[in-house]
Amino acid sequence: MKTKLLFTISFLLFAAFIFAQNTIYGKVVDQKGKPVAGANIYLDGTYDGATSSETGEFSFETTEAGNKFLVVSFLLFETYKQEIDVTNYKNQTVKLRENINALDAVVITAGTLESGEKARVSVLKPLDIVTTAGSAGNIVAALQTLPGTQTVGEDGRLFVRGGEASETQTFVDGIRVAQPYGATTNNLPTRSRFSPFLFSGIAFSTGGYSAEYGEALSSVLLLNTQDEADHEKTDIGLMTVGLSLGNTQKWNKSSLSVNMMYVNLAPYQAVIPQNVDWNSPYQSLGGETVYRYNFTNGIFKLYASFDGEKFDLNQKNINFENPVRTDMNNNNFYLNSSYKGTFGTGWQITSGVSYGYSKNKLKYDITGIDSQENAAQLKLKLSKKVSNHFKISFGTDYFITKYNEDIADNVSIDVTNDYDSNIFAAYTEGDISFSKNLALKVGLRYSNNGLLNENNIAPRASLGYKVSKSSQFSFAYGDFSQIPVVDYIKYSKYHQFESEKASHYILNYQFTKPGQTFRVEAYYKDYSNLVQYDTKNIQYNSIFNNNGSGYAKGIDLFWRDSNLYENLEYWISYSYIDSERQYKNFPNMATPSFIANHNLSVVTKYFITDWKSQVGFTNSFGTGRPYNDPNQTQFMNGKTKSYNSLSFNWAYLLTTQKILYFSVSNILGTQNIFGYDYAKTPDASGVYQRQAVVPTADRFFFLGFFWTISDNKNENQLKNL
Amino acid sequence: MTKIITVITLFICSLLSAQTQFEQGMGKAFGLWKEGKNTEASAMFERIATAEKNSYLPNYYVALINTTSAFSEKDKTKVDLLLTKAQDALDTEIIKDQANSELYVLQALIYTAYVVADPMTNGMKYSAKVMEAYAKAKVLNPNNPRAVFGEADYQLGGAKWTGVDTKPLCAQVNKAIELFGTFKPETPFSPKWGLERALETQKNCK
Repeated sequence: MKTKLLFTISFLLFAAFIFAQNTIYGKVVDQKGKPVAGANIYLDGTYDGATSSETGEFSFETTEAGNKFLVVSFLLFETYKQEIDVTNYKNQTVKLRENINALDAVVITAGTLESGEKARVSVLKPLDIVTTAGSAGNIVAALQTLPGTQTVGEDGRLFVRGGEASETQTFVDGIRVAQPYGATTNNLPTRSRFSPFLFSGIAFSTGGYSAEYGEALSSVLLLNTQDEADHEKTDIGLMTVGLSLGNTQKWNKSSLSVNMMYVNLAPYQAVIPQNVDWNSPYQSLGGETVYRYNFTNGIFKLYASFDGEKFDLNQKNINFENPVRTDMNNNNFYLNSSYKGTFGTGWQITSGVSYGYSKNKLKYDITGIDSQENAAQLKLKLSKKVSNHFKISFGTDYFITKYNEDIADNVSIDVTNDYDSNIFAAYTEGDISFSKNLALKVGLRYSNNGLLNENNIAPRASLGYKVSKSSQFSFAYGDFSQIPVVDYIKYSKYHQFESEKASHYILNYQFTKPGQTFRVEAYYKDYSNLVQYDTKNIQYNSIFNNNGSGYAKGIDLFWRDSNLYENLEYWISYSYIDSERQYKNFPNMATPSFIANHNLSVVTKYFITDWKSQVGFTNSFGTGRPYNDPNQTQFMNGKTKSYNSLSFNWAYLLTTQKILYFSVSNILGTQNIFGYDYAKTPDASGVYQRQAVVPTADRFFFLGFFWTISDNKNENQLKNL
Repeated sequence: MTKIITVITLFICSLLSAQTQFEQGMGKAFGLWKEGKNTEASAMFERIATAEKNSYLPNYYVALINTTSAFSEKDKTKVDLLLTKAQDALDTEIIKDQANSELYVLQALIYTAYVVADPMTNGMKYSAKVMEAYAKAKVLNPNNPRAVFGEADYQLGGAKWTGVDTKPLCAQVNKAIELFGTFKPETPFSPKWGLERALETQKNCK
């Protein structure tokens, strides 16, 4: 009896407990008070909840009582969580904050051109480097189709917005590369040392970049190695210019990629008529490797590359009757190790060290120049996400450079020049998101240069404002300083140099739609403290000063579209620049020889499904560049004819894993002239004779077969994953 | 004695009611999904997931609904949001159990959605991951028809670009259809989708 009663009571109690219902109702709105439809409203840990209606209203019943957490979640907004009293939650309004991390938040884009999966607006896609006609796998050549760059055919390096090539610094995983280019000499173009395949993201800043980066007056090129290898594979490449071999191994938490490449231009030089006389063709043997290890909260990466290059040629020189022989040998080693991880609440750490070693043995006529450079960088960066609206980062850097050269010509006494430079820098930067439409980044960089005995403080600021779903404005300002180039600084025993300086002002407008990007950027750059000297060539006994100055201003336009026609992608870059400088031994303000006022690149790629082929054309055009004619009284008065090169490539997929690739540059065979070298002394009739600076060959042909062997269908291998 | 009985009774009662609550909730969510109310269905599964931490199924369906919605979504920003949501839900379950073949099939499906959304940008990066996820699903359960079919179907989809031989892939599709016939879901709510699409693909194979 007693038992029965208890049973009944307990059942009744239970039932009562179940059916004691409370109604919870209210409305979900965004920050502007507009109703949010489709939000999920529920009591945490229960089944009780509802989805908001078109008017943002919700209502549901619950058997819960007391205090519970009410959760409101929706894709575009920050999840809202608050403790409520279930019995008394009626007709309340929940205001959701927009999620700043959502993809359509404003991103400050002034000065920056990005590629890669992390980039929200990709200007270049990862494959573009390889598939842009005329680039031949050279990262720098592909970047030269973007606005703000100059095509300087006899040099091959990146010239950005009126800056010398040395004003651009390259960083791998955030750490500087001291020697990013291959060896070169007199008017022979160089290329980037880095193979595009190991990098997953490229950010190319043409100005106004973050306080994290220093010692660059014009531009930074940020290359990020892949965090993760795609899969185990072996890549084999057979090319008319050499061989390449790559292998990737993947383990549970780590992976290793190795690439080797041997280049020999002998077959190419034998087929294509050359404008110079090669004693021994360009040859290089290089390799690079990336090792990655994934920890629970971070990733460690080790990147190393080595290459040895040599060539020997005779070049005509206006000052000599017979061609002058140049024999070049270069060995380069680069090591970069970095760790990136998270700890605590919202902290992120990036640290790393790089070491670069370059040894050049150059024989020019009878003069031998042996030079060595050892360069290292240590870096530590911490950042903390304080909230979705504020992120702070700070860090420190240390650059060490040791340079030494010996010059011997068997006539005069041997000369040795060297310098040791240590630069310490620290910076801090704050990222503030006022809303999804307005973001600000402010930073400050301090540096101390031991060799120059100077301190620099460089403020940086940038602002992004989104005016509509698809368009936004950005503005950037920054002060930049950089130690003078080795040609000067090696004489620092004789003269106390100062850092060269630049200020950037950039205004950017960007319009994006799926498959379309349009951007226009106007900039003004103010150069000061540039090195000047008073002699024909830079010598130890030249009289130097840091009184040079200059400016660059211009407009860059970029349009990329993949919607016009199916399987067709194209982009157009146009840059207008007006720049003058008084530096080096310029007698007055003048436009330097590497600047063409108008540059236009048109890149097209078309995939032909029936042929399993991708064909591409790239046309680069630049107006004439100035040169100095000593026969005329006015300095830098000459102007070359304009430059044009039309390149073509064709990639044919034999199967998924076998690709046949063909490319040819300058199909039309345009006789391009980069400038003129004038004789140092006038001839008998008082005229300075000249010689045109031309490419080593008018065309470049390339044929390659690339084969990827991957056994990721093999189950036995996969068990190791 | 009476106390013990009471406690047991209460315990059984609550167990029974929890069981039915789960079944009711899941049933309701499936109903919403069938009606095409994807947002509501996903929200319902999400709520069940917060209450039932021991079952992988609610989060599995949160991920599945959002992934399938992403396939038909044109707005790339939205695709990304849907797939991020799907990935978050899936991650919650993968952390708990790395030996569930179905979770890797779904992972492969999420990567496939990225590829479909933007083949030029994502194709190279995610294709390998798709294959990897299917392979892992097959290692964990060689008889999972969704893994066998998904892997073949993904490659068939790319065949017109890559020129891969479709014969062995079609053989795999046939094998998957056989497996669908013998496949017994563990619970009434366990994944059992895929046969219809496999039959469709089979038609194209001929």
